[in-house]
Amino acid sequence: MHPVLVLVRKDFTNFFRNKAAVSLTFLVPFVMIWLFGLVFGVNRKDSGPTGIPIAVVNASTNPAAQTLIDALRAEKSFRVITTTDDAAQRPLTEADLRPLMQAAGARFRFAVVIPEDLISATQLGLHLKFFSNPRNEIETQTVNGLLQKTIFSHVPELIGQSLQARAKQFLGDTSFTRFNAALASAISTAFGGDRAEIERQIASGDFGFDQLRKAKPVDPTLRRLDTPPAAAGSNNPAPAATTTPAPAAMDVFSKIVRFETEQVVGANVKNPAATSLVGGWAIQFLLFAVSASAASLFRERDAGIFQRLLASPVTRAHILWSKFLYGVTLGLLQLVVLFLASSVLYGTEVLPHLGLLALVSVFAAAACTSFGMLLAAVSSSPEAASGLATFLIMFMSAIGGAWFPITFMPEFIQQFSKITLVYWSMEGFSAVLWAGQSFVQILPILGVLGAITAGVMSLAIWRFNRGTIFG
Amino acid sequence: MLSLRSVTKRYGTLTALDGLSLDLARGEFFGLLGPNGAGKSTTMSLIAGLRAPDSGTLTLDGAPLTAASSVARLSLGLVPQHVALYPELSADQNLRIFGELYGLRGADLRARIDAALEAVQLADRRREPVKNFSGGMARRLNLVAALLHRPKLLLCDEPTVGVDPQSRNAIFEYLERLNREGLTVIYSTHYMEEATRLCSRIGIIDHGKLHALGTLDELLARLPFEEEIRFPATPVTAPLAARLAVHGELTTENDTHRFRPHPSFKLSAFFALAESHDLPGRLFTSQRPTLEALFLHLTGRTLRE
Repeated sequence: MHPVLVLVRKDFTNFFRNKAAVSLTFLVPFVMIWLFGLVFGVNRKDSGPTGIPIAVVNASTNPAAQTLIDALRAEKSFRVITTTDDAAQRPLTEADLRPLMQAAGARFRFAVVIPEDLISATQLGLHLKFFSNPRNEIETQTVNGLLQKTIFSHVPELIGQSLQARAKQFLGDTSFTRFNAALASAISTAFGGDRAEIERQIASGDFGFDQLRKAKPVDPTLRRLDTPPAAAGSNNPAPAATTTPAPAAMDVFSKIVRFETEQVVGANVKNPAATSLVGGWAIQFLLFAVSASAASLFRERDAGIFQRLLASPVTRAHILWSKFLYGVTLGLLQLVVLFLASSVLYGTEVLPHLGLLALVSVFAAAACTSFGMLLAAVSSSPEAASGLATFLIMFMSAIGGAWFPITFMPEFIQQFSKITLVYWSMEGFSAVLWAGQSFVQILPILGVLGAITAGVMSLAIWRFNRGTIFG
Repeated sequence: MLSLRSVTKRYGTLTALDGLSLDLARGEFFGLLGPNGAGKSTTMSLIAGLRAPDSGTLTLDGAPLTAASSVARLSLGLVPQHVALYPELSADQNLRIFGELYGLRGADLRARIDAALEAVQLADRRREPVKNFSGGMARRLNLVAALLHRPKLLLCDEPTVGVDPQSRNAIFEYLERLNREGLTVIYSTHYMEEATRLCSRIGIIDHGKLHALGTLDELLARLPFEEEIRFPATPVTAPLAARLAVHGELTTENDTHRFRPHPSFKLSAFFALAESHDLPGRLFTSQRPTLEALFLHLTGRTLRE
C-alpha cells in the first residue's frame, strides 16, 4: 500500500477510535442543524416569524379599529398584547408604551397605536402610530411590513372610509351627500340593487371589497408574489419565507395590483428555506472539522511522530497529501451526512441530486481542507491555529452568506464575499439542490473551488517547507 | 559502515555541529555521550536524513545519506527521543502502521509484530490503546516500532528518558541482544551509566564538537589520574583537604570531597598524609574514575549542566 494510503487509513482509524471527535464531527452538527431549524422556523410545515409580541393600543371609536385588532390577533406572526400584565389587566394606553418598552426584559418591543383620528378628514389614508425598540433595522422593516400587509389585507374598508372622509371635507356636507346619492342612484339604475343600501355602503366606505374577496382570480394558474409555490408532484405547498395572509383578503389586492410572478429557479424545491440554509451551515461545520484535524499536525509534530515517519520511506509530501486526502474524505462524509440529515429533518431533496451533490462536496471539502492546511502552516502552535481558525471561519461565513443572504449586505462586501470558499461552496450546493443544474452547468463553480484549493494548498506547502512543523 | 566527514550544521547563528567526523563499523554499539544541547539529536537527525548538513558528507555503506535516499531509509531505524506513537491506537495498530510504511504486509508483518511484542513483554497488552500504557511500556513499544523492518543501523536518541528502572533494564537487555545478533546501534544519552554499560565505543560531544572517541578504557586512560578518592567534607578532614590541592584535583559536592591525584602522587603517599592527620582509613573510598569525571576533565562542566 502506498504510504499516503497507509497514513490516511491511520488517520481514519485514529479518528473513529476517538468518540469525542466522531461526535463533534457528525452528531453535534446534526443536532445543531436540528436546533437551527427550530430557531429559524425551518421545518416541513411552516416557516417565517411567529408570535412576535406586539402591543396594540386602541384609542379610536371607529368600529373598524376592532376589526383591525382582530385581524392582528389572527395573524400568526404576531402575539397581540392589549392589556397591562399587572393584576388590574387594564387596557394599555399610549402613555404606557414608552416605559414598558424601555424596561429591561420588556414584554414587547413593538407597538401599534390606533389613535382617535384613525380616519382623518384632512388627510388621505389611515393614521397609525408604530413604536419600536428594534435590535436591528431589518427586524423593524420586517415587523413594519407584516403590519402594513395585515392592515391593508384584512381591513380594506378603512381605505374607503378615508376616501369618504376626505371627499366630505373637500366637497362639503351637502355636495358630498348629493354626490353619494347620485352615485348610488346610477349604480342602482345600471346594475340593480337597492339605491338606499348602496348609498349607505358608499357612505361607510364599503366599495365592494367584500365582493372582490369572493371573486375568483382571473387566471387561477397564476401565482401571486406573496403565496408560496406548490411543490411539483406534492400536495404539500412549500412554506414561503414570509407569512401568508388569508387568501380572501389577498384577493382584494390581487385585483387592484395584479402581479404575475414566476419563480424562475427553485420553484419546485421542497422546503426552499432549508435547502438554501443547510449548505451554509454544513460548510461552517466542515471548516471547523478540518481546522480541528489540522491541529493533529501539531500533535504529531510535538510527539515526534514526524521524525519517525520522515526517517522511514515517507516524505513530507506523503504526510501533507495524506492529511489532505483524509480531510477531503472526512469532509465529504460529513457533508453527505449533514445533507442527509437535512433530508430527514426538513425534507430537503437530496437523493435525486446525490451524485452532483457529492461532487460539489468533494470540491468544497478540498477547499476547506486546504484552508485547514494553510492554518496549520502559518501558525506556530495549535492554540494559535485554533484562534485564527475561529476568526477566519466566522469572518468567511458571515461575508460568504452562510448566516445571512449576501444581497442584504453592502455592495463592497457582496463583491468581497466572492473570494471566500464559503460563498462558492454555497453557490455549488445551491446550483445542485436549488437550481437543479447539470454537471456542465456547475463546472464553473467546481473550477473556482478547484482554483481556490490549488492556490491555498500551494501556499500551505510553500509555508510548510519553510516553517517549523517538520522540525 | 557509517561515515561522517567534517559535518557542520547551523541553526541561524548557533552552530549545532562543528566539523564532526566519525566512522562506525558494522556491529558496533556506539554511544554518543553529552549534555543537553551538545549536538547529539542533531547528529541523529542528520544520519536519519531528517535534516541536511550545511557542509560535510555522510555515507552509509559507501552511499550518500540524504533526505531523498529511500534505500538508506530502509537500512535505518530511528527511536525518537519522544514516544512517537499514536496514543489513541493500540500497540498492535501502531506497529502495523509503521510496518506497512516500510512495505511489510500480511503474515510476515503479523509474525514480526508478534515477535516484537513478545520481545518487549507487551504481547498481552497488544489491543490496549497506547495512552493507557505506563511510560516504560510506551518506551518499549517506541523501541520495537523502529525495528520491525529489521534495519542494519538503529539510531536511539535518548530512548530511556523518564523510564522506570525495570523498563530501562528491559530495554538494555533487548538492545544488547539485538547488538549481539549483529545490529549496529548508535545510542545517544547524557547518562554515563548507560554509555558505560551498553557501548563498545563512546564519543563525547559538547557544543557540537567531538571531544573524545574510543572504548571506555581508552577514554578513561586519557584522564591524568587512575583513581578517585572520596571522603566526607567535615571540619575534621578540612586540614587534609587543604593540603591535597597541590597533589591533584579536589572538588566538593554534597558534603563529599572527590580527590583525583596526579599520576606522580601515589596512593601510598595519600594514605600516609591522611594518617599524619589522624584520619582513619574507613573515611576513604577509592574507585575507578567515571565518564562523568572524563567529561568534567574535558569540558570543565558536568553532563547534567
